[in-house]
Amino acid sequence: MNLRRRQFLELSAATAAVSMLGTKFARAASDPDTIRIGIAANGPRTSDPNYTTQGGDNWATEQMYEQLVRPDDGTFATTPDQYRPTLATEWSASPDAKTWTFKLRQGVQFHKGFGEMTSEDVVFSFKRAMADGTNKPILSNIADVVANGPYEVVITLKNSDVNLLGTSIFLNNTAIVSKKAVDQMGAEKFKTDAVGTGPYELTRFDTKWGTALKRHETYWGEKAKVAKVESVYIADTTARTLALLSGDVDMIEAVRAPGWVDSMLQRDSTLQFDMTSPGSFNTLHINLKRKPFDNIKVRQAIMYAIDRHAVAEAMKPMGGFTADLQPEFFPGGFKTEDLPPELQYNYDPEKAKTLLAEAGFPDGFDFESNVSQREDYASIMLIVQEQLRAVGMRMNLHIGDHTAYHADNQHDKNTLALHSSSYPPIPTQLYTQQLSTRAEVKPDGSGGINYSHYGVVIPGIDDLLAKALQATDYNAYVDYCKQIELQVLRDLPLIGMSTLSFTVARNARLDLGYKVKSGYARWRFHHATKKA
Amino acid sequence: MARYFLLRLADAIPTIWLVLTLVFIAMRILPGDPAIAALGDMALPEQLAAFRHKMGLDVPLWQQYINFLIGVLSLDFGQSYMNGEPVLNLIAANLPYTIELTVAAMVIGVGAGVPLGVLAATHRDRLPDSGMRLFSLLGYAIPDFYLGALLLIGFALNLGWFPINGGGDGFVDRMYHIALPALTLALVKAAFIGRLTRTALLETLGKDYVRTARAKGAREPRVIYRHGLRNALLPLSTGMGLSLLATLSGSVAVELVFNRPGLGRMLIQAINERDYGIIQGGVVVFALLVLLINLVMDLLYIVIDPRIRVK
Repeated sequence: MNLRRRQFLELSAATAAVSMLGTKFARAASDPDTIRIGIAANGPRTSDPNYTTQGGDNWATEQMYEQLVRPDDGTFATTPDQYRPTLATEWSASPDAKTWTFKLRQGVQFHKGFGEMTSEDVVFSFKRAMADGTNKPILSNIADVVANGPYEVVITLKNSDVNLLGTSIFLNNTAIVSKKAVDQMGAEKFKTDAVGTGPYELTRFDTKWGTALKRHETYWGEKAKVAKVESVYIADTTARTLALLSGDVDMIEAVRAPGWVDSMLQRDSTLQFDMTSPGSFNTLHINLKRKPFDNIKVRQAIMYAIDRHAVAEAMKPMGGFTADLQPEFFPGGFKTEDLPPELQYNYDPEKAKTLLAEAGFPDGFDFESNVSQREDYASIMLIVQEQLRAVGMRMNLHIGDHTAYHADNQHDKNTLALHSSSYPPIPTQLYTQQLSTRAEVKPDGSGGINYSHYGVVIPGIDDLLAKALQATDYNAYVDYCKQIELQVLRDLPLIGMSTLSFTVARNARLDLGYKVKSGYARWRFHHATKKA
Repeated sequence: MARYFLLRLADAIPTIWLVLTLVFIAMRILPGDPAIAALGDMALPEQLAAFRHKMGLDVPLWQQYINFLIGVLSLDFGQSYMNGEPVLNLIAANLPYTIELTVAAMVIGVGAGVPLGVLAATHRDRLPDSGMRLFSLLGYAIPDFYLGALLLIGFALNLGWFPINGGGDGFVDRMYHIALPALTLALVKAAFIGRLTRTALLETLGKDYVRTARAKGAREPRVIYRHGLRNALLPLSTGMGLSLLATLSGSVAVELVFNRPGLGRMLIQAINERDYGIIQGGVVVFALLVLLINLVMDLLYIVIDPRIRVK
């Protein structure tokens, strides 16, 4: 074959281009030394754990930082004895559960040569989280944190807290950061160049792309098996799904909508799904200031009209049923059969109609309500709308932008406000935020997220909540929580609609090294292995 | 010419002011609270208040407006509510991606559209012409985001020839990442420009001077390119200008589908999060780009057709 110079040049260029494409694609698809996760957001905001506000950012901070204690991987510690030593090796509480002493692990090194972690770093981290951190409200019970020598820290509380490890110690916001690094870099720089003690350290923070981490070689514990972790931000669900199916990323945050898992398995049956139980709590606030919802019979009718098992089933396999507000394996939670019969509220539309007639609405009634367009919110409320319509409660549902929906809720503009929040096994957090008088929503937006006005319109659970929060014995704490659950089921200002697992779809090449059962919406990769 | 240029720039000032004001008002009318969006719906009232104070959202609206205008005059759009980074830095980091996508799409779109249009015009009512009409119909009918998803599934997912998402690092990698997004935008442009070229060329080919050229024995390619296409340039350049503006706005959807960095994706994110600074800054940059394109098109008319006088 005669090859002229021009043809030769063209052929060479084409070959070079194709080989370059192939190499690039191969790198993206099968690098066994990088775990890449697709985050459901547009870009990272901060890598400073004391100030994270966006859930997706916590995937990186989970690898970079550690708290004094933590539960076993893939679980929530549902009781205080289930926490494991981490940066603290041992701890003790005073009999009144107001003074907690932590002995620190010696020889723990910060990333990037910032030296050994000492009590000074622990005090510093807690104080900045308490002063201005995202979880400031939860940490407001801490009176002081002081160092007692280089390896001991004493935390004193305003009120007793038998659950301190769960409420305040194992939080993303109370992860331990390097004081020296913050002092040297300044708070602004630290947001994108943070320094912790975890199994991975930050190497790149790019608001357009994501974050990159590499193994912390002087880590105090067992070193991570995979050398690098990358969090790539892909907000668009189609783009994220394709990134997983193509092998460009190893795992993605799932779309929490009905049928999503099944549709993914149809595309690739080898995919693995990690799900936390319970995940988010979807609670339905009934505005007690709006007629006719101030009538207990109407609220009971709602309870009988909604088939909560069907709601959970529709979100399968992510949906979970709760007989009350807490899942049955959380402190304070009940199984349906353990509830008094009149509080079991098994689905019964005929009973709902009877109750409505008794309340003076034999033909039902019309009302307005709002919901967010986000998949999980809209799906649940559309089911609720149909079920209420079947008994005569005709809800005119306005579906709107998620940010606007929350702003409207916070200005008391909703009738049946669905709310999704994640909670650890500390039931008092949900009661404090969604049911206490102190958290009552205000029309000017200055209140909290007690959208039902419980405790103001009708007496609430404030006294029981105060007793639970002051309990010095864990069993007594749980008992008060159970009493609160029963009272809420009697008064019905808030309905536990369903839980919704936080879900990650994962390529089978990646093995986490443990089973995800429960926990916050992020998990560690230090035991993970990856096949090429 | 320089005076004309300066006058046109001065003309743009009221337009920019109007855009600024409309964006400012629109953001404040839109329901949703930037403080809740930034800090989450569990934030305490005092945290929200501190945030509003820090971001200057607690002063009267007129004062926010004045502060905003003063900021724009000094090229300071404030900082992002979400990560505290100066808006100008974010724009500077994202703008090149949008420009390179727009330019690449236009190069492919014009590169394919003009020859297709010529082919259709010179084979009027025959197969190439019918094919061209079908192609332009499809081009008009398929939305960018849908075409993007199809190309992604076909060429990136199934064949694995292109990356699934991102903007790439370094020139070669960036060109590799831009291929499918640019093609997505370019196919629609090619359809539009092809159709436009066909119409404009058919019109000029029917003129007397073309008949004269043919009568004088000019070869057909010379007739088409020298006499036909050259004289069709004016309507074509108007179409290209419009197409460039459409490509710029189309980049928003394409940046989302391909998860590319860029002004469009940044703006959508900012709107969802009520990040006023980014929205205001981003819209101003988009408006400036549109004005710039219009200005360049006007100047091009003068170059293409000297009979158009600068007034």
